[in-house]
Amino acid sequence: MSQRHADHAHDHTEVPSEPALRVKALESLLVEKGLVDPAALDVLVDTYENKVGPRNGARVVARAWVDPAYKQRLLEDGTAAIAEFGFSGGQGEKLTVVENTPAVHNVIVCTLCSCYPWPVLGLPPTWYKSSAYRSRTVIDPRGVLRELGLDLPDDVEVRVWDSNAASRYMVLPERPQGTESMREADLARLVTRDAMIGVAKVAALSVGGGA
Amino acid sequence: MNGIHDMGGMQGLGEIGYKENEPGFHEPWEVRVFALVQAMRSGGLRPYIERIPAAEYLRMSYYERWYTALVTRLIESGIITRAEVKSGRADPAAVKATPALTPAVARELLFRTPKTEQDIELTPRFHVGDRVRGRNIHPTTHTRMPRYTRGKTGVVERDRGVFILPDSEYVAAKPRPQHVYLIHFTAPELWGEEASAHDSLYIDMWEDYLEPA
Repeated sequence: MSQRHADHAHDHTEVPSEPALRVKALESLLVEKGLVDPAALDVLVDTYENKVGPRNGARVVARAWVDPAYKQRLLEDGTAAIAEFGFSGGQGEKLTVVENTPAVHNVIVCTLCSCYPWPVLGLPPTWYKSSAYRSRTVIDPRGVLRELGLDLPDDVEVRVWDSNAASRYMVLPERPQGTESMREADLARLVTRDAMIGVAKVAALSVGGGA
Repeated sequence: MNGIHDMGGMQGLGEIGYKENEPGFHEPWEVRVFALVQAMRSGGLRPYIERIPAAEYLRMSYYERWYTALVTRLIESGIITRAEVKSGRADPAAVKATPALTPAVARELLFRTPKTEQDIELTPRFHVGDRVRGRNIHPTTHTRMPRYTRGKTGVVERDRGVFILPDSEYVAAKPRPQHVYLIHFTAPELWGEEASAHDSLYIDMWEDYLEPA
């Protein structure tokens, strides 16, 4: 069972990559030495592959859009308001939610490593951990955002959050216009992971197969 | 330490490689390394990641760094040997261990939020609104103070509470709990007059990283 994913990789890769072999060898060693229970490993793999992810954050955002009292709680104490959904776990001790408005745009980075709010966004995408994103976002946020497709007017204030201490950050994106009549569950489907990192805005379309 | 990992403000490090809706894991071995780290409950790997020589660090993918850091940590802790890693087989003389993590504990731990905030009353040295400067320090081991904040002046925005200074987290003999503050720096203060005067940067900093300005 614990070898399922590794074997699966071999089905699709003609020559297994070196890291794959080394990781498999390390896993076998740790299991053989009795240090790792393969069944516990399967629980962890299944959770991080399938159960945590940005849909959690999207539900939080949609709730904040439709419920002003919830939004206030969320901005005051992110950890407690997010725990109302039952979302918790590693990297979730101090969650701070920062709000995008027409006048202020927030963007999250971790210059030293890869700090990221796992309970609401899951594990970070590769580009978030790239040397270029980590190095440039603090010195040239507007340039980075433009490169990622978001061109902000000069009069919008850009706030960069370098998360590397106890807090993890999530952006509360602006609710798109034209969504006034939408229900919370449909709104949650509009919210993207990248908008909650602050490198994109939420678009109004897409429910029902649009855009 | 002034390592390659402390890259905030550097230029010329290549492409961001942005892909919309990119998944967190690309290859099956990546999530397995991640899970092995959790299963071994080996604690913070960042000091080990930061010790990877700069050229190697830049060549490696993210989860290759995790693999390297985990192996280094396990060898240095005496849990496995270099020979065992090389052969992939346990030393026949080694005593068989009991796994630190059972499936039941794993299920419970996954959704338990760790608590690192300290329930200690400490008089804060700084208060909201105080002007502070990043100290000109160059720790030779793990630190959470990015070099771009050194010598720069900002304002205390919020007191986060008391946490153990991670610089000494690995010197278990002498933990230094202290207040952590959210500091606001203007973009021109950090990056010069050509930076947008509208823009700013926020970062949490331990008390030891700061001095009154």
